[in-house]
Amino acid sequence: MKKLVYAMAMLFGLSLLSGCGKSISDQSVLKNIRQSKTITWAVEGDKKLFSLIDIRDDHEKGFDIDMAKAITKEILGPKGQAQFTLATAQSRIPLLKNGNVDAVIATLTITPERAKIISFSKSYFQAGKSLLVPKGSPVKKVSDLNGKTVIGIVGDNSVEIIKKVAPRAKVVAMQDYGQAVSALKSHQGDALTSDNGILYGIAAQNPEELEVTGGTFTKEPYGIAVNLNQAPFHRAINRAIDKLHRNGEYNRLIKKWFGQVPGFNYKEMYYK
Amino acid sequence: MSMVEFHDVQKYYGKFHALHDINLKIDKGETVVLIGPSGSGKSTLIRTINRLESIQGGKLIVNNQDLSNPKTDSNRLRQDVGMVFQHFNLYKNKNVLENIMLAPRIVSHLPEEENKKQALDLLKMVGLEDKAQNMPAQISGGQKQRVAIARSLAMRPKLLLFDEPTSALDPEMIDDVLQVIKKVTSASEMTSLIVTHEMGFAKEVANRVIFMDEGQIVEDDESALFYKKPQTMRAQQFLSKIISH
Amino acid sequence: MINIFNHFGNQLLDGFGWTLLASFLALVFSLLFGILLALLEVVPAKFANQVGRTYVEIFRNIPLLIIVMFFYLIVPKYFVQLDGFSAGTIGLFLYTSAFIAEIIRSGIQAVSNGQMEGARSTGMTYQQALQHIILPQALKIVIPPLGNQFVSLIKDSSILAFVAGFDLMYQANAIASVTFDTINSYLVIGVLYLLITMPLSYYMQYLEKRLA
Repeated sequence: MKKLVYAMAMLFGLSLLSGCGKSISDQSVLKNIRQSKTITWAVEGDKKLFSLIDIRDDHEKGFDIDMAKAITKEILGPKGQAQFTLATAQSRIPLLKNGNVDAVIATLTITPERAKIISFSKSYFQAGKSLLVPKGSPVKKVSDLNGKTVIGIVGDNSVEIIKKVAPRAKVVAMQDYGQAVSALKSHQGDALTSDNGILYGIAAQNPEELEVTGGTFTKEPYGIAVNLNQAPFHRAINRAIDKLHRNGEYNRLIKKWFGQVPGFNYKEMYYK
Repeated sequence: MSMVEFHDVQKYYGKFHALHDINLKIDKGETVVLIGPSGSGKSTLIRTINRLESIQGGKLIVNNQDLSNPKTDSNRLRQDVGMVFQHFNLYKNKNVLENIMLAPRIVSHLPEEENKKQALDLLKMVGLEDKAQNMPAQISGGQKQRVAIARSLAMRPKLLLFDEPTSALDPEMIDDVLQVIKKVTSASEMTSLIVTHEMGFAKEVANRVIFMDEGQIVEDDESALFYKKPQTMRAQQFLSKIISH
Repeated sequence: MINIFNHFGNQLLDGFGWTLLASFLALVFSLLFGILLALLEVVPAKFANQVGRTYVEIFRNIPLLIIVMFFYLIVPKYFVQLDGFSAGTIGLFLYTSAFIAEIIRSGIQAVSNGQMEGARSTGMTYQQALQHIILPQALKIVIPPLGNQFVSLIKDSSILAFVAGFDLMYQANAIASVTFDTINSYLVIGVLYLLITMPLSYYMQYLEKRLA
């Protein structure tokens, strides 16, 4: 029994240690990135249209990536470098809080809970939760989900949302989108829920089997996340987004990534 | 009536010809000693008799059962053919009494009370009634071998095979074991075949001596005759080496 | 850490229960199946040896995740519906069986051949010799490595998180995703895993001493 107590005490000690080390997020990120001419972004690797690793050249490609590059150039000038660190839905916020990255641009929805621990830029994309189902599925809208199994992603807020809009649905959370889509195809769930942009990307990859249905049932504004108390960096990002909106670069990127997606009205996403 | 009959028996280990044209007949009640240099095939021969080794040619009849026939039941055969090993092979997970009682209980279904009485009698016979509750690891090599003899007797065999029963023992323990073997083999109904290097003992108990070399039976004599004047050169050389020791 | 336990106690308890159940089921079935496989490997019958050998080589040389995914994604698509918990537990049991078979096979083979010959020479059948002489001795030899394997199995049960099996790891991931406190979420379940593995370790050590 003694050993068990020791082991637990050690784990407990570790947890106290983990509470320390705040110093990284206290330094001025803006100052640092101006010196290094580099902004390090946390991005995802498994989201077609937003940020998907192209296995031919190992580079991330998508709307989030292009936005990150454009914002980097706006803040640091034409020589500024955007560096990308791969994150999952689960690790994107811890990576930021631990100081491994300067900012997160990873289909991250602005929510009040998250806003307590990180600071969001103004929204750069208006998404909404939707449903992806096998073609011909009886599920047509979100209320059809009661009594059914819904697949979500660990770390994605769709899990909580489903519990509210369809309380009698059973939710299973998968580790990433690849697994979630496989699970849907293997009938482990009746629908996969996530943001419409992401789901359209998946449907475009599986046009024979899957389709998006039921429109959006929430509003999910995506924001860029930086650490709290980085006001100068935060302001710089907002200024950069405004600039991209005004000079037409933003609309160009929307058209580039979403112009070809069947069923998706990309013009609604334009900055007007 | 014969207990064991070898007719042109052959045994191979892969390409190695371990037993060559063995022809041998042992009658009921005989006590036969098998000698020869190491590697001559003595152990192999004795182990074919209870089918611990298979044969590849010829005919082998033991207790009226044809061992060359693959359908012959080895388990049935072994109930009548006991074996005592060089390294005792007592069951390490059972105490002395259980070592003796196990086979009669699960193989011949002897009633428990009778089984226990028999086991205690056998232990008394080998002089170890006070060791009944000991584990094999707690007794000496000589005591282990006496228990092993008691164990094989508990199945009431008609034929007993001894495979170098004293070779693994310290010298001061050999005599006790030999006394027990002598007692057992002298019973008129018992047929025994003993592989041994103990020449003095062999002379005393055997009515027949078989000398083997290189997988063949070289000489097969009445005991007295063998010691007086072996027929072959190889047996003479072997004997002179052993006796000069 | 305490905070997480206060807020998510029910969820953690739930995960603890599922982890315990998956571990228990996988342990019992992999022990029984592992013994069977080990016997297939040692009995004097070439075909059985081949079958046992093949199974062991395949299952211990494939990552557990792939086996579990097979039962989660492929089996439901073509054969029978399995939820994450069942798929994870079945995968875990089949995978662990291969390792247990190896442990028991080597345990049986570590018992000297003389024990088998001693038993067979009194007329016992192969099965009787195994049951009364060989297996009881092998048991003593295999207890320590078997204990290690059981502890591994419990830790490996965290594979259920990947197929939404509601186990401790799954709950920790879920808690981390709402609290953003990944470190403490994992530390809490670290303690809960210890609560299962340490008593098991002690019990195996006790068995080892008692049988010695």
